[in-house]
Amino acid sequence: MNNILCVNWGNKYGREYVEKLKQQCEENCSVPFNFYCLTDNPTEPYDIPIPTTWDSHENGKFWAYRKLYMFKESQLGITGKNFLYLDLDVIIHQDLKYFFELPMERPWIVRGWWNDIEVCKKNFSKFKSTPINSSIIRWNSNQLIEAYNHIEKNIDTIFFTYPTIDNYLNHFFYDMYGAKSLFNVFPVGDVYSWYKGNVFPDDMEAKKIRKECKVCLFNNSGETNDAEELKSLWNI
Amino acid sequence: MEYLKFTPELANDWKNALSSSEPYVFKRVMDSMNQSQLESKLWIIQELIKLGVKPKKVAILAGWFAQYIVPLLYDNFESVEWVENFEIDQDVKRLSYKFNKRLKEDKKYQIIIKNVMFDKIQSAQHAGYNGSMDTIINCACEHMYPMWKFRDLNKTVQKNSLYILQSSDDDQHDDHINCVQSEDELIDQARIKHVMYSGSKILSNKSTRFMVIGR
Repeated sequence: MNNILCVNWGNKYGREYVEKLKQQCEENCSVPFNFYCLTDNPTEPYDIPIPTTWDSHENGKFWAYRKLYMFKESQLGITGKNFLYLDLDVIIHQDLKYFFELPMERPWIVRGWWNDIEVCKKNFSKFKSTPINSSIIRWNSNQLIEAYNHIEKNIDTIFFTYPTIDNYLNHFFYDMYGAKSLFNVFPVGDVYSWYKGNVFPDDMEAKKIRKECKVCLFNNSGETNDAEELKSLWNI
Repeated sequence: MEYLKFTPELANDWKNALSSSEPYVFKRVMDSMNQSQLESKLWIIQELIKLGVKPKKVAILAGWFAQYIVPLLYDNFESVEWVENFEIDQDVKRLSYKFNKRLKEDKKYQIIIKNVMFDKIQSAQHAGYNGSMDTIINCACEHMYPMWKFRDLNKTVQKNSLYILQSSDDDQHDDHINCVQSEDELIDQARIKHVMYSGSKILSNKSTRFMVIGR
């Protein structure tokens, strides 16, 4: 069975964002799937209480660590082999079947092709300018347990050191110099960023809808009204 | 020791390193060569000489391009046999070898890409050698988790190493994730039991740098 997951905690995104994502999946996925939301406020049949295992380490860094609980999918009580994670702040343009038909020798994650890779390399040791983005992840069961166990083993160091989970994943499970690593990355043109653009340096216009791509992300806006801006685009 | 010996061989290696740097790496190279960088490395040499330390196998943690510390060690201590730099930045490797080409070719210097807070270090110098390093230098403690973790991680091989640690109170940089306010804080973080030297110095960039030498 195919599983589509999202994660919602805190109060930035209300229930309507989860419902909208679910609706988008139903309208844009031609293969059967189950939809789940890991949440700190479970109210719907598709909700799964989000684990709290790492909460005692919360220190304002390692942003969005709660997303990584899904890397050990066995603790979520979800059956099935195929997993697709989507952030709540996405707009789906094309059939999600694509993601379930990818070859799965390795799990997949977003490579922000809008990033200047030289800037990413320059800032690697500064824990900035991360080329990968965890807004969409496609994996089969057990493919990400290595990363989950690595966090469990090094939890103090990881929470202390890495400002975001994307930065952490970039340091340990992706190699922007091209060596084989845990993650494969979605090809150029699959996923773009509303605020950043599509492909550096030639297709970088921000705030432009690109329906030829599969999904639009609303990452790294630096703006305070990004949730509202996303909502304003739901009916495009 | 108040200076670095700018020998013809060093000049040649540095010229080749600087002229082959990719443009996007060049600013980092310049940052690694500023006045404060040299001051802090000379400070290490000065204190080690005063203490009568004779380092042999030296590990440098997060040594960056290591264009100052490696020649300073070899020029000032006849005892030094091997220096190994453990770095996380892949861009550093090629240029560090250019800067230290003469030492690399003499099999006196190696750089390994490794995150020392997650993976043990082990000298790659000789097959069959147990990998222990008698001297461990970390001039970048402000960039990483407290050093007790490194010591714990390496306790089975690096049993009685001398630690030379530097950190800073300069918290204006995002990547300075572990600044300290005193040398005592650095001692505590590294769980140094036998302190041979501790002190502070205001560098030319106005930040205060702290140094601890001990086991």
